[in-house]
Amino acid sequence: MHMDKSQRAWGLASLMIFVASTVGYIIYALNATPRPSGGSVVGLIFGITGFAFMIFAALLGARKRVPVWRLGRAQAWMRGHLWLGLLSLPMILFHGGFRFGGTMTQVLMWLLIITVGSGLFGAILQNYLPRLMTTDVPLETIYDEIGNVRKLLREEADRDVESVCGALGLSQDREEAAQRAGGFTAMRPLAAAAGARGMVAPAIIAATSTAVAPAPEIILLTDDESAPLRRFYINEVRPFLERPSEHRLILGRPDKAKLAFAGVRTMLPATAHGTLADLEDICDEARQLRKQEQVHHWMHGWLLVHIPLSLALILLGAMHAVMALRY
Amino acid sequence: MARTRTTKKLAQRIDLNYFKRSTPLKRVRLGLVILLPALALAWIIWLVVAKDSRVYSSGRMAGAHAVLVNQCAACHVQKAGIFMQKAEDSACLNCHDGPIHHHVAIKRVACAECHNEHRGRINLLATSNENCAQCHADLKTNGGTSNYSNAILSFSDGHPEFAVVRTGGGRKPADPGTIKLNHQLHMKLIRRGPNGPMVQLECGNCHRPAAAPADLTYGDAKYVAASTTYKASDELLTVHTDALPPHNVSSGRELMAPVKFATACASCHLLTFDKHFDEGVPHDKPEVIHAFLIAKFTQYIAAHPGDVRVVRDPNRDLAERAPQPEVRILTPAQWIAERTADAEQLLWRKTCIQCHALSASGTPVVAAVAVAPSVLPVVAPANTTAKWMPHAKFDHQAHSGFTCVSCHSQALTSTQTTDVLMPGIATCQTCHAPGPDHAESRCYECHTYHDWAKRKEISPTFNLPALKTGAR
Repeated sequence: MHMDKSQRAWGLASLMIFVASTVGYIIYALNATPRPSGGSVVGLIFGITGFAFMIFAALLGARKRVPVWRLGRAQAWMRGHLWLGLLSLPMILFHGGFRFGGTMTQVLMWLLIITVGSGLFGAILQNYLPRLMTTDVPLETIYDEIGNVRKLLREEADRDVESVCGALGLSQDREEAAQRAGGFTAMRPLAAAAGARGMVAPAIIAATSTAVAPAPEIILLTDDESAPLRRFYINEVRPFLERPSEHRLILGRPDKAKLAFAGVRTMLPATAHGTLADLEDICDEARQLRKQEQVHHWMHGWLLVHIPLSLALILLGAMHAVMALRY
Repeated sequence: MARTRTTKKLAQRIDLNYFKRSTPLKRVRLGLVILLPALALAWIIWLVVAKDSRVYSSGRMAGAHAVLVNQCAACHVQKAGIFMQKAEDSACLNCHDGPIHHHVAIKRVACAECHNEHRGRINLLATSNENCAQCHADLKTNGGTSNYSNAILSFSDGHPEFAVVRTGGGRKPADPGTIKLNHQLHMKLIRRGPNGPMVQLECGNCHRPAAAPADLTYGDAKYVAASTTYKASDELLTVHTDALPPHNVSSGRELMAPVKFATACASCHLLTFDKHFDEGVPHDKPEVIHAFLIAKFTQYIAAHPGDVRVVRDPNRDLAERAPQPEVRILTPAQWIAERTADAEQLLWRKTCIQCHALSASGTPVVAAVAVAPSVLPVVAPANTTAKWMPHAKFDHQAHSGFTCVSCHSQALTSTQTTDVLMPGIATCQTCHAPGPDHAESRCYECHTYHDWAKRKEISPTFNLPALKTGAR
């Protein structure tokens, strides 16, 4: 959620509630005998308000589970979650007079602080990381499909390399790959399928593509000619496509990758430059997917803390409310 | 040919059922969403099963109640059919008596209103000013009018000047004591006896707490050892009857004990009565002194029968007495009567009257000029004030780091018995004021709420070994 002008109304309303509550608390604290307490009338009002805010914030999860419910716009729920959830912290601090009390209340206070803190952290991340994603990951895909897309890229790269270097024993399940790795104007001929080197293989036009251009004939390179490409592919490209998060791989960094590809290019005949360019493009996409994964983990990792703790907070908070009324 | 992408081809590589598949992130999140609330729930259930309510405590208990940490039910009593278990006065009164405040007080407050438990290791007696101000900010009494200030919020807000030094309305503070003492004179360098050394008295030479051993620098062990027939009521002014007694037994070091002749005065103020004797008369009532003199002179003349021949001493001719012949032969009885009369003249007119207010037949001896030898004077009660501020408690021991004149500065300049040498409120407020840089200034520091004179004894409730286990 972006912190833009659309947040102004909620922000101002929350600020007003906060200021009014703070003024109220100061007056209350100055006159409290002997000091502010959660059990006093004012303390209870703060406590009930804070807990109500927490409940509302927690209901966002339920609202998301049932999106068809006509209970206000999702955006309004999100804003309410953000601002009222944030306000719940000062309300509860006012409730307890800035003291953490006994075991249960201490647990609750720390749960609240961590929950609100993680929520704030998440809100900040959600405000900046999507922009980062737009600029740094133009080839963004669905996060859940990254593994699958990465596999398709690897298979595409295998085919590309085998089309000029001959079979490397890497290609698998090409039919499916041809169906699902698509999006390319020219599917490189599956030279490996021919199983022979030095022969001219007709370009295979991807039957599923509507934007397929006739592929030129690809000439298999001799062993000597293809050796640099094979070596580079086996030692650098393939490992990178399999394990893109490994730090030691030079292709993980764009500047080094560019230099590496430029170096290999000088050792290859011009007929293989197209394939090399495709490999470079595939590596770039794989790098972006890795970046997307990292950004996604930052954007959603905090929820691993925020959601479970908030549920525990609501549960224990309800228990605290009942027992506090009892004792 | 470079790779190019079309939307369709990009879409084709997406498994349309991807959202049905679980991912590690989703799995971990789901696991935690189940695990943490489940742990919280398990904790609550365990607490219910174990009947452990300590976690619901709103804070650490005061040190005085630390033994009850496992005994929630000691104060939070369960009543049949009622969910609430608030701590009530009856629970407090099981262990503590809480006598009422003044009988004219309008409001009765619950124990917990002033003594707030679960606030950490605090002193539960340290109640807040606001508790007292509930009534004293606008004091009203139940069936009567109050003689006290009726708008006191705190020591620094509305507390009047101490009554003992308060002036105004034509009233001047005065010490009701009758023992004549010039503090200024005694605080200067003075000669001890006609030919004695120069001495500088210290406050502590005369003023000591009751429990402190007496300083006999200027006392006389013989007088200390002697018993007297006068009582404390002859010396001390009756304490204000409305005052609330303190909670704790006095250590004897809080207040200064009344100054005693035997320990503070006897060394300099000799009670000698006749040239034939070195010793002085007892520091006692005139009747006792009279009997003492008769006995002494009787013993003396029995041992010295020749002394009945009395040669006139011109230095001892008194104006009010008829001229005596140069030599007289007296009977022992006459001699005893005459010597006794002379001794009493000396004592009543010069020695005793130096400090005491004496009167004969209700007439002050000073105005009467003379006292008939056969008439014993009446010594006015000393009216020594043992407690100047009966409504407050004060501990000299706690202030022992300060010199006496830090607070009682008037002692250096006072010349009159009626001078009140007590410090005013401003002196106390030098240190006792609100804020962290000052000494405690809350009401409880000096005042008592409960009337401990009405204290009732409490029956034991707890079994010490069982406290550990939570049983009673």
